[in-house]
Amino acid sequence: MNTLQEKYADRIETTLAKYPDKRSAVMALLYIAQEEYGWVSPEGIQDVAEVCDMDPTQVKSIAGFYTMYSERPKGRFWLQVCTDLPCALKGAEKFHHDLKEYLGVDEGGTSEDGMFTVEHVMCLAACDKAPLLQCNFHNYEHLDMEKMKVLLDQWRAEVNAQVNKS
Amino acid sequence: MAEQKLVTITIDGKAYQVPAGENLVDAARNHADNQIPVFCYHPKMAPVGMCRMCLVEMGTPERDPNTREIVHDEDGNVKVRWMPKLQTACTQTVSDGMYIRTTTDQVADARNNVLEFLLTSHPLDCPVCDKGGECALQDLTMAHGPGKTRMVFSEKMHLDKIVPLGDLIVLDEERCIQCARCIRFQDEIVGDDVLAFHERGRTLRIITKSDPGFDTYFSGNTTDICPVGALTTVDFRFGARPWEMTSVPSIDPWDAAGSNISLDMRLDRDFGGRAMIKRVMPRQNEWVNEIWISDKVRFGHHFTRAEERICAPLLRNNGNLNEVSWTEALDTVAGVLKAANGDIGLIVGSGASNEDLWALRQVVNGLGSERLGAWPVTHTGGELIAQVGVGKGTNLGKLGKGDVVLIVASDIEEEVPIWRLRIKQAHDRGAAVIVANARKTRMDDFASHTFRYEAGKAAHWLADLKKSAPEAAEAVKSAANLIILTGAEGLTLEGHAALMQAAANLLIETGHVGKPNNGLLSTFPGANGVGQYYLGYTPEQSVAMAAKPPKVLLVAQADMLADDPSVAAWLDKVETIISFSMLPDGITAKFAKVVLPIQSFAERDGTFTNGERRVQRFYTAQGPMGWSLPLWQIANRLGEKLGQGKAKLSAAAVMKEIAASVPAFEGMDYRALSKVEKQYPDVGGASDSYYYSGTACKNTGGLGVVIPTAADKGETVKAGEVKLPAVPKAGKGEFVIIPSTRLYNREAQFKLSTVVHPRVMVPFAEINSADAAKLGITSGDVVQISANGGSVRVRANVNGGAPEGSVVLPRHLTDEPVPMAITVGQVSKV
Ligand code: SF4
Ligand code: FES
Ligand code: FES
Repeated sequence: MNTLQEKYADRIETTLAKYPDKRSAVMALLYIAQEEYGWVSPEGIQDVAEVCDMDPTQVKSIAGFYTMYSERPKGRFWLQVCTDLPCALKGAEKFHHDLKEYLGVDEGGTSEDGMFTVEHVMCLAACDKAPLLQCNFHNYEHLDMEKMKVLLDQWRAEVNAQVNKS
Repeated sequence: MAEQKLVTITIDGKAYQVPAGENLVDAARNHADNQIPVFCYHPKMAPVGMCRMCLVEMGTPERDPNTREIVHDEDGNVKVRWMPKLQTACTQTVSDGMYIRTTTDQVADARNNVLEFLLTSHPLDCPVCDKGGECALQDLTMAHGPGKTRMVFSEKMHLDKIVPLGDLIVLDEERCIQCARCIRFQDEIVGDDVLAFHERGRTLRIITKSDPGFDTYFSGNTTDICPVGALTTVDFRFGARPWEMTSVPSIDPWDAAGSNISLDMRLDRDFGGRAMIKRVMPRQNEWVNEIWISDKVRFGHHFTRAEERICAPLLRNNGNLNEVSWTEALDTVAGVLKAANGDIGLIVGSGASNEDLWALRQVVNGLGSERLGAWPVTHTGGELIAQVGVGKGTNLGKLGKGDVVLIVASDIEEEVPIWRLRIKQAHDRGAAVIVANARKTRMDDFASHTFRYEAGKAAHWLADLKKSAPEAAEAVKSAANLIILTGAEGLTLEGHAALMQAAANLLIETGHVGKPNNGLLSTFPGANGVGQYYLGYTPEQSVAMAAKPPKVLLVAQADMLADDPSVAAWLDKVETIISFSMLPDGITAKFAKVVLPIQSFAERDGTFTNGERRVQRFYTAQGPMGWSLPLWQIANRLGEKLGQGKAKLSAAAVMKEIAASVPAFEGMDYRALSKVEKQYPDVGGASDSYYYSGTACKNTGGLGVVIPTAADKGETVKAGEVKLPAVPKAGKGEFVIIPSTRLYNREAQFKLSTVVHPRVMVPFAEINSADAAKLGITSGDVVQISANGGSVRVRANVNGGAPEGSVVLPRHLTDEPVPMAITVGQVSKV
């Protein structure tokens, strides 16, 4: 039993049940691994390989092909800012720039406290709500830096509360 | 086989008759002499259509919508409806009425563009690239590519240039053109999908994240089929340029497969300016190894020029060996032999060639002795191979649906890896592979059915197949073709004899003899285990000598003390031992009065008889080490001193004599053995083949000649009695010891490979978890195993591999010998 199997027994089971064979579940399982480890770590690859009875090389290959699997460690909050043309016209580039400056990170970098990773991405299919970003795959729309600071504080507070509790 | 259906296709305006269902790239090459360029397509693997190099125009005749008649133009030519876009030839199979154009501007443009695209990010480091000179990308760019680039990239994509994919293969990421041949080879041909692509676009790279990484026994073949210099071996990397080397045909000196190889030689500073083996390459023989070789063959050649080699005759004086002249050494030996009054024994290892075996036998027979022992004493039943061995014309590459391969008591991957590779593919083509052993082996992964029997009881299991495995019995009975392959794992010599007899009986009873792709095979050790039988040597004779040691014993190319702990005791009783050896071993160190240095397979001519009874030639490639001589020549000179007639001048002359005296070799001479014929796929040689199939060599040295079996010749073969042997039983506190084979080991010759040694396992033994729990042993603990008067210390590997009450103990990993055959012994934690 590996970490994933121990912690996510039920979810793994329901995931596997959706597919004709174990191998087909690999992508869904990689999301679980990403959730657990914060990125698709070597342990995550190994865990998934064991669950689907595949060679870890093949699992890694799949993780590498799709951009929504992160193969580098990320902060707790993965902020993906769209900077494609429609968004850029609505000031997304400046927003992206300001956000990085505020958090003191470079493109793709993670804030010192390990909380936030900022990345620019292609169209998120919500051009009319620009500027926007996705945080851990949820959209936050019509943003500006003021709203953003509130959100950032809120997220930080949530985590701190959790940490204090445990 | 049914007559092959032919279809008509038209290539560049000319009609050709080609076999239906053939791949278009192959058909164009084979029948129309049209070399459609490819990168990703490989004739031994399924097409994937990834690289787009093979684009052609394709069309079908236009038909009148009403009459369905083919429409002709005013000149009476068929009107062809060309597809609007180009098609990848590699993903097409030929069909009747297919029209192809390969010389139009559109096709030329496509080729040019694909090459231009590949080169946008390919480093131009051909001057330092191992593939330079035999590179598909170079050749195709010269033939079809742009002379200049139009791209204005200030920088090419740069990736890592030295990425070890395992201990033996190094990847240059920038050179990879993403054809996936290496990935597909590992997946389709080997069955170990440890390579894959990672990321995409310009950053796409080959990776391995498996544990262990890219270390299958066949990894070197990927460097042959890689169309560029992306994959290189640690052995050859930057070693030489292809055009500096001369290819000398040779034969795999390690196992019963007898893979055809080429020794690529160059005069080299590292070897005093003499011709040195720079690399070992596969040489095509579709009957034997196709275009593949195992890594042991590719990387195990260093012993031929090792410093450790014995370079002069040695004579023992006051306990010390001193160099002497050949004359003195041979005079001494002749004197000893004459004085022995015929009480002479001869034991020869399975690496000695047919010529050596014959010449030595002449000497001993001439002195009135018939004691010809084969070494090692593991496999027997040569007479059954001669009766019902696999029929003439057998080709493992042709087995498929309806056929059965039954493997008993063999860890085939470790014993004869090329057979394992080919049988795995037979399985993929639909053949039923049945594997029976006392424990799990790698072949289980490629088996249709697996069976277990009690350790030592292989013959019991097979002789009573209907009861022990009704399913297998049924499959065997109804098999279109049946090959039974035996090993000797976990068996005594009698056990193997019984197993061979049981197998022969089954083949005879079910009518699977005397036909191609039917019959008996065995994993005889060494390159010439079967040759030993044909030239009159048997392991039983070696056993008899152990029971009643001769006064004088000649030991040739047999590292007996490293093979079994019980040997030392009886060698002590021999008055004089004469050793013919390449390397120092236990016998030369302690026992031999005279040591005569022999040459390796690379330094001389000769022939080996492989497991399928194919007699194959190897040629002189390297100059001799010191004063060493070919074994047959030493024997001949000795014979001369003993007044047995003049020494022969060449190995060819010895073969002539064999052909005249031994019926099995009738009609064989070096010319017949060196005959070649056209083989498909057509590989190597002309530069156009590099891109088609990689750098495997064309066969120039000969395809060999197969010795027919009695059944082949139409003689009646009868089933015989299976003498079921007693099986060693472990008493209280004892274990059954099952010696096993590892391909990579510390045998004297192989130990000298400078590249493989990191991959040889730390000595270990597999112990059943239940037994381990009782003894308080966990994996990694050092245990002492004592049996047959010897004892070794190894690491315990606690797993489900070993049956309860037994330990599986690999041979030749420890410095001290472990038992050669199944036995009982003690196991204790250290
Ligand atoms: S390493 Fe060679 S064989 Fe493998 S994908 Fe790249 S170019 Fe093809
Ligand atoms: S361009 Fe930004 S969401 Fe579509
Ligand atoms: S696409 Fe046909 S050879 Fe690659």
